[in-house]
Amino acid sequence: MNDDIAKDVDEILQAINKGVSREEIEENLKKFIDYGVPLKQAKQAIIQKYGGSIPFQEKKLEEIKIDDKKLVVKGKILALDERDVEVRGEHRKIFRGLLGDETAVIPFTAWKDFNLQRGDVVRIKNVYAGEWNNQPRLNLSEWTEVEKLDEDIEVVQRKPRYYEIIELKPGYSNVEVKARVLTLEKREVLIGEDKKTVYSGVMGDSTGKIRYSAWKDFDINEGDVLHITNAYVASWRGSPQLVFDEKASVEKLDDKEMPEELIGKTCVPIFKINEIGGGVDVCIEGDVIEVQKGSGLVLRCPKCNRVIKEGVCVIDGEVEGIPDLRIKAVVDDGTGAVMAIFNKEMTERIMGKKLDEYQHDAEQIEKEIEDKIFTKTMSICGDAFSDEYGTTLLVKEAEILEIDISQEAEKILSEVE
Amino acid sequence: MREHAWRVFAGEYSEANHFLKGEEKTPSYVITPLGAKINRLYLVGVLTDVENVAQEGEMWRARISDPTGIYTVYAGQYQPEAANVLSEASVPSYVAIVGKARVYEPEEGVVYTSVRAEKVKEVDVDVRDRWIVETAKHTKKRIDAVQEAMQMHPPSINKLKEIGYPSSLAEGVIEAISFYKDIDTEHYIFLIREALSYLTSGKKEFMEEIGEAEEKILEIVKECEGEKGALWDEIVEKGEKEGLERDLVEEALASLMDKGLIYEPVLGRLKTT
Repeated sequence: MNDDIAKDVDEILQAINKGVSREEIEENLKKFIDYGVPLKQAKQAIIQKYGGSIPFQEKKLEEIKIDDKKLVVKGKILALDERDVEVRGEHRKIFRGLLGDETAVIPFTAWKDFNLQRGDVVRIKNVYAGEWNNQPRLNLSEWTEVEKLDEDIEVVQRKPRYYEIIELKPGYSNVEVKARVLTLEKREVLIGEDKKTVYSGVMGDSTGKIRYSAWKDFDINEGDVLHITNAYVASWRGSPQLVFDEKASVEKLDDKEMPEELIGKTCVPIFKINEIGGGVDVCIEGDVIEVQKGSGLVLRCPKCNRVIKEGVCVIDGEVEGIPDLRIKAVVDDGTGAVMAIFNKEMTERIMGKKLDEYQHDAEQIEKEIEDKIFTKTMSICGDAFSDEYGTTLLVKEAEILEIDISQEAEKILSEVE
Repeated sequence: MREHAWRVFAGEYSEANHFLKGEEKTPSYVITPLGAKINRLYLVGVLTDVENVAQEGEMWRARISDPTGIYTVYAGQYQPEAANVLSEASVPSYVAIVGKARVYEPEEGVVYTSVRAEKVKEVDVDVRDRWIVETAKHTKKRIDAVQEAMQMHPPSINKLKEIGYPSSLAEGVIEAISFYKDIDTEHYIFLIREALSYLTSGKKEFMEEIGEAEEKILEIVKECEGEKGALWDEIVEKGEKEGLERDLVEEALASLMDKGLIYEPVLGRLKTT
């Protein structure tokens, strides 16, 4: 036993730099191990206990493992997107993007504004690798230092792979797709001091739809069927976004290669949506297993539209609320769960009743909604977004399904005979 | 990330002997022999028993049965809404429950699974039937996953995910194989058949009843038909005297007509062919 841990005790002593006896460290380490604490954690805990510091580790992006702490990395910002989130009642602006070096491309989340821009080559010190969908994801916190470098780096060229839209996950690089451009918008954005033009919108294939951003003028139009190589997948407000620039190539194909009728509204199991981080026009089928508090009649601030509580808006103070109708329901299909949000129009459609037809108070209305949809199987479609807490689906279409029990039962019975 | 709700038959859930206890920020999971990795579950069944088992205060214990076995569900002072619904529910009635997986391990190796209710609601038979079908589907999926994994050397979470199984199931299956070792999937196929025949047998029994009734009604028509044919009302009256319900008589008459054994020569009268 003593020989095994001798090397670890050495490491600890080096990190501590103080006059602590070897015996004491050994004793501490053995105790932690006896309690079943994993070796790596035990070492870190002892180092911290004696006032040492875990050394910084400089790694290439492909070497990063989930739970690595105090990383130092160098890479190029390949994609960047800003997002408003609510954390414990507070509104914060966070940034999501992709960082690439010669070995790999990795997604990151920045909890502070580091004034980053797409194209920047940066050295990031003191960053932690969290987990997202079983992959490492860098988390830049308030204690992270970001230094902009005046050099360029060659970002890894992975083996190209063809993907169907539904398979695209944030973090993939060198992807090849074939898709039809459904919408297109041209915008001018400021990247540092440079003005850049970006073409964005939604494209789709038979498996699904995805948002895209093109950073070069490929002369694309709505209705074009494109064959794109060497694109990246970043994330836009939690759902996948296809990004391609001057390194990509875009070929126009004949309309027949992807006729409009084929463009999928994919009905997928919910776990798939959670895995890719959301999507455009996704469809799911599941049971309503919860109607959340705050469903039914709500009052909104006339200035900022936020839901107000007891006549007070968190931003605008005391206001006269405007009545609105909504449902927040957890829809679960046994593989995953989403928070489905129904706006006034969708709620009225599902309930078969308009806002002003409700006679009762908010509590009664919430109960009426629950009585109508709780335990029902529904098919719902809409845009989905993921964050740390789960996936939210903004319902555009919804239907309570009638299941033919005997038919379904016969089908399964035939499979098990 | 919200834990999704597993659909598991009581038979599978009660046979689980493996519990992954969570630490600080990780949830706990019951691992069933088919690899369900359960933190939350959704079940619909027949409430057969409700009792306050606390010595002081409230701890309601309910038994809910499905075609394969019985669930034990608890709701105490920290689940006031659920406890309230259970305490006031009628027995028997159909109930839907969303809850958390719980275990009681009185001694090493002896594991009793139960459910701590989050939400309880009385529902109708349609919800219960839909649940049986859904749960059968999910159980079959788990059986497939376990069978695939048992063919792998060694069984691998990544390979299961590549085939298309969700990561929660892939993890559960690998954990199940390592704990339960030899999993008898035939037993669970039988479970599915048992549960589903419960749904289709209701219909079968009814069809058998019609067979007997048809014979009786045919006799009655022969007795009463004379030249002009038997009066509809008379047939029903005689049928009821024989112990057949009106509905059954009418079904039998319709069925006999379909088979061409009787016909309606004039409106309101029936004759054998």
